[in-house]
Amino acid sequence: MRNRTKLLLLAVIALVGAASLLFREPEGIQAAKGMEQTESGAPAAMVLFPVSEKPNPRAVGMKPVVFNHKIHEGKVQECESCHHTGDPVSCTTCHTVEGKAEGKFVTLERAMHATNLRASKDGKKHESCVSCHQKIYSQRQECAGCHNIVTPRHNDAWCAVCHTDIPTMTKEQLQDGIANNLLPKDNAALADAAIAAKAPVSYVNHKRARYKVTIDTLAKTYEPNVFNHQRHIVSLADKIKQDPLAQAFHASPEIYCQTCHHHTPATTHPSKCVSCHTQTIDKQNPGRPVLKAAYHLQCMGCHDGMNVKRPRNTDCTACHKLRTAKQEASK
Amino acid sequence: MNRRKFLTFLGSAGVVSALGSAATPSPAKAGHVFPYYPDSYGVLHDTTRCVGCRRCEEACNIVNDLPKPAKPFDDLSVCNTKRRTSATAWTVVNKYEVNGKPVFRKLQCFHCEDPACASACFAKCFHKEPDGSVGYDGSQCVGCRYCMIACPFYVPGFEYNLAWDPLVKKCTFCKPRLDKGQIPGCIEACPMEALTFGRRTDLIKVAHARINENPGKYLDYVYGERDAGGTAWMVLAPANPKECVPPDNPVLAGPQMKQLGLDTHLGNQPMGELTYGALGAVPLIVAFWPVLFGGAYAMTKRKEAIHKAELETTERKAKEDVAAAVDAAIRKIQETEGEGAADRARKAMAEALKARETANKHGEGA
Repeated sequence: MRNRTKLLLLAVIALVGAASLLFREPEGIQAAKGMEQTESGAPAAMVLFPVSEKPNPRAVGMKPVVFNHKIHEGKVQECESCHHTGDPVSCTTCHTVEGKAEGKFVTLERAMHATNLRASKDGKKHESCVSCHQKIYSQRQECAGCHNIVTPRHNDAWCAVCHTDIPTMTKEQLQDGIANNLLPKDNAALADAAIAAKAPVSYVNHKRARYKVTIDTLAKTYEPNVFNHQRHIVSLADKIKQDPLAQAFHASPEIYCQTCHHHTPATTHPSKCVSCHTQTIDKQNPGRPVLKAAYHLQCMGCHDGMNVKRPRNTDCTACHKLRTAKQEASK
Repeated sequence: MNRRKFLTFLGSAGVVSALGSAATPSPAKAGHVFPYYPDSYGVLHDTTRCVGCRRCEEACNIVNDLPKPAKPFDDLSVCNTKRRTSATAWTVVNKYEVNGKPVFRKLQCFHCEDPACASACFAKCFHKEPDGSVGYDGSQCVGCRYCMIACPFYVPGFEYNLAWDPLVKKCTFCKPRLDKGQIPGCIEACPMEALTFGRRTDLIKVAHARINENPGKYLDYVYGERDAGGTAWMVLAPANPKECVPPDNPVLAGPQMKQLGLDTHLGNQPMGELTYGALGAVPLIVAFWPVLFGGAYAMTKRKEAIHKAELETTERKAKEDVAAAVDAAIRKIQETEGEGAADRARKAMAEALKARETANKHGEGA
């Protein structure tokens, strides 16, 4: 038994490690007083820092993300859904900003955002934050409508939903977090404070929006379409209000205007379709759909995503009646 | 012309034809059999947008003055059958089942960068225009329908119903409208902008931008970018939700494209390159073979004529010789034995000659 001493030593180390984990964790949970305890014993919420092996004194890069572990724990089937190695350690143990050999040089950014994930050799398909959320919004009927025509963009509005400011965090704490030196209890306290500080979004009052919109710019073969503008807004607002996940991610008060009034800043007075989409091909922007296509792509894109059976896409007269010869003559 | 002269002519003709084929670039080596027009137009067909309303078919029928079809254009049930383009329907929209979901695709002439129809046509009826369209001029068409066999997309239609001067008919890319500065009828009619008109080089960029900006929506393969040597009309297909296909891989994108009725096995070599080498020799053969064989025929004929003439002269000479000898013999008889004997001898001689001649004739005849 040449390995006896070695085995004994390993066992002792393992015991000490387990003991330290057991004795440390209650401290972390106690610190997060505001949050309920999790089933797994992990902190209820935590701040995910952009952990880097290089010094980053000016904290250049993305802001940290406040992650609500408790909510996610209840939504996934097993810990391995996210902790794919089977070892419930922090993501940043292996995935840093630059990537480490332990994490097969998969950077923190990829680990969190990759969407083109292929199943690994053992047949298991890993998920990133974004790929999992993408699955949700493209599969749930109430989400799939808008998300069929709204594609994620790399801009401040989209990124800031997760990469938020943490009001109570000091510069030193941020530096400690980046260096992976922040104590778990401090981390949990920061996350707790950030979640507590998050006020519910007061969405714009749909009654202030136009009730009906007559779409008549192109009326030639068909009668103008009378679009029930307000009903569509109410429908979107209801879907967001009913779901905490939707509320968490639709953080801007004018968010549902931006589904159809895309590419405009978040405002209660967004641009009209005709502001950008011309009736014939715009020579300055040839890639932009012409007005007729823009209407149809938006309406049908959303309806297709939600699997709306009626009106059918090819049932032209369901939305705009056929213009008769008599009416044409009177024009 | 003698033998030597003929051989000299044959040799020089051979050299000339060899030089001729060396001067024109070998199609197998050149990238394009047809001139490449960088500013040519194209169309991007986004099948994820197409709803199968058949408006493009209707517009095509109207702008090209084609006969009204048996079933009206608002009857969408016809999309369920796999229709082909014909002489009276230059574009058709068919419904395909892709990953269990219905996807519509518009069929028309792809207006290849290197049209196979043009390389197969020995009457030179098809030509690639600088605007990207593949034009057809039926004035020289002989109705062989080689173009229909050559086309990898089964596009050209033939006017089988016409007894006199039936022609090949296919989508013209609305060439008359392009010349007027208008876009093709089908594209103008499309309510979903499933058809995007533009310069081909720009459209390739637009296609890839759409693929990149909408992850998970499109199959990462632009059909027609390189297929069959590149086509002016290109197709975007929906993604396979179950399998991630690496970009621009015709083999792995094949099964998905096949569901949409598109063949990715055409290769990226222009179709024309396969046939142009053999068919390019046709004009040479047509021009040279009559001269070659005509010459050979003339030579044999001439040889025979000379031989006949020579034979005739020798015969005549022999006859003259015999006549002269007979004359001399009779004159001698006249001098020695008197007039009566000479007459008898002349008579006997003439009879003998006659008998011999008839015998000879009989011998020849036998």
